[in-house]
Amino acid sequence: MGIQIEDLTVTFKNNVTAINHADLEIPKGIFGLLGENGAGKTTLMRVLTTVLSPTSGTASLDGILYSEGNFEKIRKKIGYLPQEIDLYPNLSVQECLEYMGDLAGIPRQTYKERIHYYLEKTSLAEHRRKKMKQLSGGMKRRVGLIQALLNEPEFLIVDEPTTGLDPEERIRIRNLLADYSEGSEGRTVLFSTHVVEDLAAACSRLAVMKKGKFLYSGNIKELLEQAGGHVWICKTKNERVARELEKKYHVSSKQYVGDEVQMKLISEAPPQMECSSCEATLEDAYIYVANKELQPGLL
Amino acid sequence: MIREMKISLTFQKQAYAVFFVVILSLVRGVAYSNEIGIALETPMALLAFTFCADTYAQEIVSKRSEIWQLCPMKKRMHSIYRRIVIQEMFLLALTVIGYGLFFLFQNPYRNGMGQGSIEGEIYQFFVYFAAIAVTLGFWGLLSTLFSCLFRNMWVGIGGCLLLWLITNSTIGDRIFGAWNLFSYTFRNAENNSDYSWICGKAVCVCIGILAAAALPEIIKKRG
Repeated sequence: MGIQIEDLTVTFKNNVTAINHADLEIPKGIFGLLGENGAGKTTLMRVLTTVLSPTSGTASLDGILYSEGNFEKIRKKIGYLPQEIDLYPNLSVQECLEYMGDLAGIPRQTYKERIHYYLEKTSLAEHRRKKMKQLSGGMKRRVGLIQALLNEPEFLIVDEPTTGLDPEERIRIRNLLADYSEGSEGRTVLFSTHVVEDLAAACSRLAVMKKGKFLYSGNIKELLEQAGGHVWICKTKNERVARELEKKYHVSSKQYVGDEVQMKLISEAPPQMECSSCEATLEDAYIYVANKELQPGLL
Repeated sequence: MIREMKISLTFQKQAYAVFFVVILSLVRGVAYSNEIGIALETPMALLAFTFCADTYAQEIVSKRSEIWQLCPMKKRMHSIYRRIVIQEMFLLALTVIGYGLFFLFQNPYRNGMGQGSIEGEIYQFFVYFAAIAVTLGFWGLLSTLFSCLFRNMWVGIGGCLLLWLITNSTIGDRIFGAWNLFSYTFRNAENNSDYSWICGKAVCVCIGILAAAALPEIIKKRG
């Protein structure tokens, strides 16, 4: 069943609306949440982890409504890796995970076995005796992810787990999430990021968020199809023309090739100059969707 | 328990607490041994609320509290209480060492409860020990409670400091009398048969029990 969100609104005390009448269905499997910084992704995750209560609207997990009385039940099903987390710097990796296992109420033998399994799987086994403060950023994220997986949650929420990591670390974390979502039936992984390529590599379904609203929700393939025919490659030797194009269209890439400027433009209609249509990447599709709804005049 | 010790008794915390007690025993002058308890109680209260303010607040600062919220309440509270006990035990050990350091550095006249005997000194020490244990427990719990309530360690320290300044003053002594939180400090040390200061410690125990009982509700509500 996954997660159902209906007409959800979160408004903070300072009158900032982080989520604005949002509807979303998150099915089983790995689901991406894409959006710029401040789009409302973290707020949504905080609602789904019961950390924050919505101002209005409803959310349910496997048919269990998010309400005060159901929070205990929901929390047992959730694993969470917040965006910024500093796990106990004075504990070793092993101690830190054991402490989190104890705190989660997992039987000692069970969490020991799981810690051993995930440390091996994330290539952290040799660092198990290192103190948390001695680990690199990527290693800390991996330990954070292991703590989220310790209770083998049905619903795993990871908030920007790959931000600031090197390519190899990002691949490791993406693969771990993909494996986890496929490991057993009925698991959902909600993977939030603003790094488009991470979603392209790990998810088949996603939602695009901007200013507290969902601009798109569904298949990545369909998102790419939507953007198809709206991505153009233009080449010019004239710097002034290039600047004009930048003002007029959304430019998803700009490269200097020899004495030419090659630009990739996102536009509803073909630009008024010599150009050729090209295949949309997820990044192009994201820019297309993100700007189509809010600034239709530009496209 | 060892993991909680590593979390709540960091090297920095231990170092500043030890430093504080050593400096105090060097600079705070006492002439008679029955003044040692008076010299130690209020500064140790200051140390206790500073020391314990981050018991749970550290989870908020490091964003771990969001993970804690997914854990069973019983486990969370067990861990917090264990941390409080560990810190209080450490501080209690320090007060005992501090008591000894006063003897070592200042060699005061021994007048244990006015009797001057070894038994009198031992009795005086145990009275001090009981009073300081209550004081440390009270201020440690109170700062943890304030920090959790306002989700900020500094508010916890500030709130306790305000109460400390009020009760550790002539005005506080005049207003609260034997019911003052620092009744042991303000007692008449010359009058050995006066145990009215126990009223103030009883107030500490009562408020401390209330604070310990309110803590789970605050953690649950404030996260």
